[in-house]
Amino acid sequence: MPLEEIVALAVLAGEVMLRNGAETSRVEETMAHIARACGASAAECFVIPTGVFLNVTDASGRSLTTMRRITDRTINLDRIAKVNELSRRLAANRLGCAEAKALLARIARERTGFTLLPSMIASGLVGGCYAALQDGGPWEAVAALLAAMAVRYIAHVVSRLQGVRFTFEFLGALTAAAFGSAAHYLWPGLGRDLIVVGGIMPLVPGVAITNAIRDVIAGDLLSGLSRGLEAALTSVAVAMGVVIVLAVV
Amino acid sequence: MMVKIAAVFVMGTAVGVMYRIPRGLLPYGGLNAVLAWLVAYLLGAAGMSVVAAIFFGSVALGAAAEALARLLRKPATIFIIPGFIPLVPGREAYTTMRWLVEGQHGDALAMGMQTLLTAGAIAFGIFVSITVYRLALTYMYNFRKGAGRC
Repeated sequence: MPLEEIVALAVLAGEVMLRNGAETSRVEETMAHIARACGASAAECFVIPTGVFLNVTDASGRSLTTMRRITDRTINLDRIAKVNELSRRLAANRLGCAEAKALLARIARERTGFTLLPSMIASGLVGGCYAALQDGGPWEAVAALLAAMAVRYIAHVVSRLQGVRFTFEFLGALTAAAFGSAAHYLWPGLGRDLIVVGGIMPLVPGVAITNAIRDVIAGDLLSGLSRGLEAALTSVAVAMGVVIVLAVV
Repeated sequence: MMVKIAAVFVMGTAVGVMYRIPRGLLPYGGLNAVLAWLVAYLLGAAGMSVVAAIFFGSVALGAAAEALARLLRKPATIFIIPGFIPLVPGREAYTTMRWLVEGQHGDALAMGMQTLLTAGAIAFGIFVSITVYRLALTYMYNFRKGAGRC
C-alpha cells in the first residue's frame, strides 16, 4: 500500500475513535497497529482530545506527517469497539488493507445506536431507577423518569447548536429542577428533591470521568487533565442549572 | 432489596443504551452495575463508612470490567461506565446545592465534603483496580518468560 494511503487510513481510524470518545492510549495504539499492518516500518502518533498527529515511515525511509483537528465530539462506544475489532483483524492478517478502508468508511458513516424515543426511555429509566434506589416512592420514581426523559429531549433539541459547550448540561439541569419544583407544587405529597436528583442523573459525565482516569494511569497527562477539567466544568454547569431554579422558586 | 437490585440492573442497562455500547453487551453492563452496587451496599450495611464502602464497590467494578474486557476482547470503558453510574453521589451533590441556596453554609460544607470524597472514592477505586490489574499482568508475563528460560 502506498505511503499516502496508509496515512489516510490510519488517521481516519484515529479520527473516528477520538470523535466518539475513546481514551488517548487506545487511539494511539490503534493508529500504530493499522499503519504497521499495512506496510509501514515505523509509526509515531500524538493524540490529544482536540487533535490527532501522525507520522508514518515506509520501508524506503520516506516519511509523511499529517494532522487532523477534532472539533465536535459525541459518544458512541459501539463505533470504538468496531474500529478496535478492525485493527485487531488487520494486525492478525485476517483482513486486507483495501477492505479495511471500505469497512472503516462504512463505520464512520453508518448510524448506529438508537433513535430518539428509545434513548429518551433509557434516559428516563436511569433517572427513575436512581430515585427508586434512594428510597423514593413509586410516584416519585415515575416523576423522576419523566424529568429525565425531558432532559434527553432537551439534548436532542440543543445538539443542533454546535460549538456551544455546556449549554445542554445547563439547560437540562434547569429543566429537571423546574420539573421537580412544578411537580412538588402541584402534588405536595411528592418530594421535590428526588425528582430533581433523578432528572440530573443522565447528565453525569461518565465518559469524561472514565477517560480522565484511564488517561492519567496510562501516562497521557495532558489528555487526562483536559478530560478531568471537562468533567468538572460539566458538573458545575449542572449545579448552576439546579441552583438558579432553587434560588428563584 | 430485590427491587433495588432490579433497579440497579435496569439502570446499568439503560446507561449502556445512552452511551451506545454494542447491543450484545448491554446485559454485562447491567450485571457489572449490580456487582458494584451490591458490594458497596453490603459493606455499608456491615457498618463500614459510606466512602470506604463505595471505594471497595468501585474496586470490584474495575476488576470485573478489566476481566470482562480481556475475556470478550472489547474496551474496558464499555463495562466501567454502566457500573459506576449507580454509585454516583447525585443526591449528596443536590443536597449540598440546596443547603447552599438556603443559607445553611455549615451543613452544606459538610455535605459538599462528603460528595467530593465519595466521587474521589469512585475514581480512586477504578484507578487502583486498573493499576493492580496491569501490575499483575506484567508480573505474570515476566514470570512466564523467566520460566521459559529455565
